Amino acid sequence: MAKKQKVKGADALLLSLIAEGVDIMFGYPGGQVIPIYDHLYDYRNRINHILTRHEQGAVHAAQGYARATGKAGVCIATSGPGATNLLTGIADAMLDSTPLVCITGQVPSTMLGTDAFQEADIISMTMPVTKWNYQVTSASEIAPAIAKGFYIARSGRPGPVVIDITKNAQVEDVDFAYKPCMGLRSYTPKPVLDTEKVARIVEMVNAAERPLILAGQGVTLAGAEKALAEFADIGNVPIATTIMGISSVCTSHPLYVGNIGMHGHIPANKLTQKSDLLIAVGMRFSDRVTGAVKGYAPGAKIIHIDIDHAELGKNLRCDLPLNADAKEALEAMKTGLKYIDRAEWLAAAAQYRQKEQERVVAKTVDPKGKYISMAQAVSALTAKAGSDAVIVTDVGQNQMFSARYSRFDSNRSFITSGGLGTMGFGLPAAIGAKMGVPGRQVFAVMGDGGFQMTMQELGTIMQNRIGVKMLILNNSYLGMVRQWQQLFFDRRYSFTELENPDFIKIADAYGIPGRRVSSPGELEEAVAALVGAEGSYLLEVVVRSEENVFPMVPAGAALDESIYNE
Amino acid sequence: MNKEYIVIAFTENQIGVLNRITVCYLRRKINIESLKVSESSIKGISMFVISAFTTQEIIDKVTKQIRNIIDVIDVSYYTPDELITQEIALYKISSRYLGGNGRIDAFSRGMMARMIEFNPSYVVMEKTGTREEIDELRDKLEREGVLLEFTRSGSVVLHRDAIEDILQEKIDEFDGGDY
Repeated sequence: MAKKQKVKGADALLLSLIAEGVDIMFGYPGGQVIPIYDHLYDYRNRINHILTRHEQGAVHAAQGYARATGKAGVCIATSGPGATNLLTGIADAMLDSTPLVCITGQVPSTMLGTDAFQEADIISMTMPVTKWNYQVTSASEIAPAIAKGFYIARSGRPGPVVIDITKNAQVEDVDFAYKPCMGLRSYTPKPVLDTEKVARIVEMVNAAERPLILAGQGVTLAGAEKALAEFADIGNVPIATTIMGISSVCTSHPLYVGNIGMHGHIPANKLTQKSDLLIAVGMRFSDRVTGAVKGYAPGAKIIHIDIDHAELGKNLRCDLPLNADAKEALEAMKTGLKYIDRAEWLAAAAQYRQKEQERVVAKTVDPKGKYISMAQAVSALTAKAGSDAVIVTDVGQNQMFSARYSRFDSNRSFITSGGLGTMGFGLPAAIGAKMGVPGRQVFAVMGDGGFQMTMQELGTIMQNRIGVKMLILNNSYLGMVRQWQQLFFDRRYSFTELENPDFIKIADAYGIPGRRVSSPGELEEAVAALVGAEGSYLLEVVVRSEENVFPMVPAGAALDESIYNE
Repeated sequence: MNKEYIVIAFTENQIGVLNRITVCYLRRKINIESLKVSESSIKGISMFVISAFTTQEIIDKVTKQIRNIIDVIDVSYYTPDELITQEIALYKISSRYLGGNGRIDAFSRGMMARMIEFNPSYVVMEKTGTREEIDELRDKLEREGVLLEFTRSGSVVLHRDAIEDILQEKIDEFDGGDY
């Protein structure tokens, strides 16, 4: 045990963060965290604090950092509005299993419950959207609460924790000694692997004629990417990913068949529907993945492997649930697994890939050469950016086109708000990702709508010289809602048209170079300039205003009831 | 089919656990019929007894989500017949009863209710029993038109098997302890 030293509560907080390996945090100061910021001033050489322009920017940046690095992201905000501005990001992190430690200031403990200035009951407010939260009211609780918070955020199925620290706790004296949390009697993060079930799974895979692996983010969270590829290779089993599972397997892997779900690739969705055995790993059968549950994978037995037992059977019948860590399970499942030819099954995937090329991809190019499509812009980016690039998306059509057309050879390369679908996520998350992996190219792919939700973070980019590359796909619409209005609401474009400012001028005001292009002939060169830029750069691509993401499984339809055109 | 399910949870005695548990019901818009929290037979461990009407499929999912709460050590759901269940109820009865013919007195005694307060304007009877027994006495008193007020405790339960022994073992096994 470390030697005790007498410090202030705020010191205890910062020393605890350092003890947990934190060297960067994203935040915004305010009245009830001034003592923490005062001490932070002395720790500038050990903790890089990034001042965002809004607390939502801080929490999304922490999420982007966590998703790119696999470490817990840390953000800090003051009480009241500072804390409530974190809520969206916390809810997002909860649904997407992102390890976050969010520190909020709080009014002095003697004033709790009195409606004091900038008091908000953030413990109650964050209760349903945190894995754990705790209010610290004395300095002696700070170190143990931080230890417990990091342990909970990172272990098992990761998630966000909130630690709310009253102002008096920040200024009190305390004997500080840091003891990391090693376990809690009420919490079992990793289940014991049921080897008997593993053996049954291997038998089922060996016996299957048309098996398909569905890989979710659980593969990435468990560090099971290699184990996944090995399992697939040994058994010769095709792999599809969920949106959150993208980049857990290289898109060039011969057994990779694409994304499943509402805007999934044709091979992935068709194979799901024709499969006789689905092996779902670290995913949760969200409604965007399954479409109508009744018509989902009608001929398949379903093996569901997840570290969270509450996910097993939650949304879907499941023939063999296995509550396990994805890596441990996939490693164990290699034993006894046989290579089976399955030529016909894999040929079917190739045929569907061909069909996708003809029915979908070919149609994304304007035959008259007048308009750039979003699909073209994303394809141009992925071709130039290199296989190591990180693509961070916003939400909507830009997200779905990025998911469909980006190519990845490295893990942790696709960062998106999957569960909550938070517009405004892209830019701040890209900032966090770039801070986490400064050696990699980080691109924020956004729509004109989402960009304007958090574009104040251009100030964060400017002040900290963060080399985030921005690609705005500008169709002057809230495109995904407009697509639904076109397809299902009789083209009544109710409040989805946007009159936009000059984005290049806005970037210029922040000292960020940029360029706007609108004709296909300019695209390649403009993307090359974006990729080649020294620091941050904003490329605005004016795209066809009424482009739709296809194929699309309409809400409530089965996965094989895709529509391919208007 | 909707029926009564009783969830029994053992938790760390921490602020906020109650909210986290009730949120699991609230999210699915399930009304909690009764809820009792008290210290279990193990020191420092709270016992929650929550009764609600829902389907087995839903209570199974709710129970799993309750288990995911960090401070919950153990949780299971039961149907009432799997548990030894008792409630206490208090019945405030109009003093008109005193002028009666002894019939109310007779059936109250017959149902093992006892008088715990007696004054010129009312009497209070206390009864321990199953939910059905408590409802039965209440119905009878209401029919007689003498029931002024009524209150009940919610279920106090014990499992027929020794579930707390298993819990104690689990706690003993844990080597570190809470912070």
